[in-house]
Amino acid sequence: MSSQRQLFQQLFDENSKKVYHLCYGYTGDSDSANDLMQETFIKVWQNLDRFRNESQFSTWIYRIAVNTCLSYLRTVKRRTTDELNDTIIENYTEEPSEKQEQIALLYKSISQLDENERIIITMVLDEVPYPEIAEVAGISEGNLRVKIHRIKHKLTEIYNSNERL
Amino acid sequence: MKGFDEIQQLWQGQKPEPNVSFETILKRVKSDRTALSRKLFWQSVAVGVVVLTALWIGIAVDFSTWTTYLALAILVGCIGYYFANQLNDYKDIRRSSHLLAKPQDYINYLRAFQQKRYRFNTRTYTTYEICVAAAFALYGIEMYFILPLLTFAGIFILVILWFLICHFVFMKQYIKSEHMRIEEMIDNLERIKNQFE
Repeated sequence: MSSQRQLFQQLFDENSKKVYHLCYGYTGDSDSANDLMQETFIKVWQNLDRFRNESQFSTWIYRIAVNTCLSYLRTVKRRTTDELNDTIIENYTEEPSEKQEQIALLYKSISQLDENERIIITMVLDEVPYPEIAEVAGISEGNLRVKIHRIKHKLTEIYNSNERL
Repeated sequence: MKGFDEIQQLWQGQKPEPNVSFETILKRVKSDRTALSRKLFWQSVAVGVVVLTALWIGIAVDFSTWTTYLALAILVGCIGYYFANQLNDYKDIRRSSHLLAKPQDYINYLRAFQQKRYRFNTRTYTTYEICVAAAFALYGIEMYFILPLLTFAGIFILVILWFLICHFVFMKQYIKSEHMRIEEMIDNLERIKNQFE
């Protein structure tokens, strides 16, 4: 039990930030991101003894996180992009600084992407290796590279146009 | 104008961090398990009490017609069937094999699960409604021999009215809102599934 707890703590320390980023990028809302992150790690704990070493721990956790984000739809009515953007801006209004505004703008831009693009790009931004992203997303590496190229371009365009506005 | 590399640098220097600690997660693991067990426990207790009460009524009260015993058996069967389904769904949604599936397969699973729940809450409810109505009708045979004719007719009309209101007002509204909710969800799941292909 204590070794399981130790392993879990290690997994939490190593992956919680990235999982949070993924959830935040997907929902565009820090409260929901915290909820989804918690839910992900609860599922990780519940299934820890079923981990089969077929992939890395991080890939396994990411897969759980992505599916948890997808099931977010099951319980929460999808909000419009405008609603998401309002929430993102509210989350950053406590101590507004130029950098925080830019990050808020970045999350706003991510929320304008399709759901799978949000998932992929948050992993790319967190420098997750491509083979791992491909495994998590369940697509071939070749297909992923094409998608990443397109999403990077799309995000840069959206970000710059939002910045101009 | 920023390039993607600058955007990535911005991302990596971001402040928002999770405000959930490892200890909080462990506490939630414990409380979640307890909450679900408690919910299942109280549902089982409620079903157990109803079934035992029905059995006790069947044994203790000397009904004059066999149709009343059949009515009790139908009611117990309906409750048992509903509870077994609930239990099965709890188990199903918590199964880890779905959780670790590819996103496309997970979306398929979510879609099938939602459709199954919708069918259970709507079409199966109609069967359930018919069974309960049949149980009441069978019990009505016993009441016909016991109650004065006018009282029996009054209760009979009230029960029929209640069933009609449930079926044509409440159930129709429920099915309509559930249908809209499920359609929106399926559309969203379909749209996301297409993104992963």
